[in-house]
Amino acid sequence: MESSYSVYVVILLVSVFISAVSQIILKTAANKTYESTLKEYLNFRVIFSYGLFFLSTILTMVALRKVPLSMQPILESTSYIYVSVMGFFLLKERFSRKKLLGLALIIIGILVYSIT
Amino acid sequence: MVDLISGKCELHMTKLTEKKRTPIWVLLLLHVSLLFSSLSGVCSKKAALSEFMSLPFIFWYGMVLVIMFGYAVIWQQILKRMPLTVAYANKPVSLIWGMVWGSLLFNERITWNMILGAGIIFAGIFLVVTADGE
Repeated sequence: MESSYSVYVVILLVSVFISAVSQIILKTAANKTYESTLKEYLNFRVIFSYGLFFLSTILTMVALRKVPLSMQPILESTSYIYVSVMGFFLLKERFSRKKLLGLALIIIGILVYSIT
Repeated sequence: MVDLISGKCELHMTKLTEKKRTPIWVLLLLHVSLLFSSLSGVCSKKAALSEFMSLPFIFWYGMVLVIMFGYAVIWQQILKRMPLTVAYANKPVSLIWGMVWGSLLFNERITWNMILGAGIIFAGIFLVVTADGE
């Protein structure tokens, strides 16, 4: 019971991660310039990121078989961590001390929430 | 999905709207749409509890996609009318809605440490989001 529950938590975390990746890809797509408005939407990056997003909605649903609904937004807040870290490495976005503190609070909050 | 679609206008809107005061109805619309989007979690949970590919499953999962799409469209409009940071700083209310729906509709137990944890996360998200705006 206990171990199968953690598997579902991991599925949810993977789902959030995939959704964060799709966000980053879309952001890189938005930063590019395109020949036409149509190509702004119908290009590999945009379509691929929506595909990833679709995948994440399915994974989230699978995870919710065992994970309480109240816990979903809690785990979803890890996306701020993924996005910040990926932004740092891929988009060269620096992060301030304030942001670092915020990310630390998110992790602490998740741990406090998870105490049983 | 929301962030996906809005990713596009984010870049242009930040500077444009930063100075103006946000009308109260936009804030209201923001919170109505955040409440609305929290219902996608409810539908997702409903789908998860239904038999895979049964009619209820297809209905609830379909609703997840419909709500996310509708929310993305509304969110886009909201971002045009208020500072990006303010909009994102309000997003963690989803933490509260998750606990409300979880306990009301699915009999989930909410304990004090959960409420405290959610509060800490709320503050963390607030800091991250406002740090981005600086």
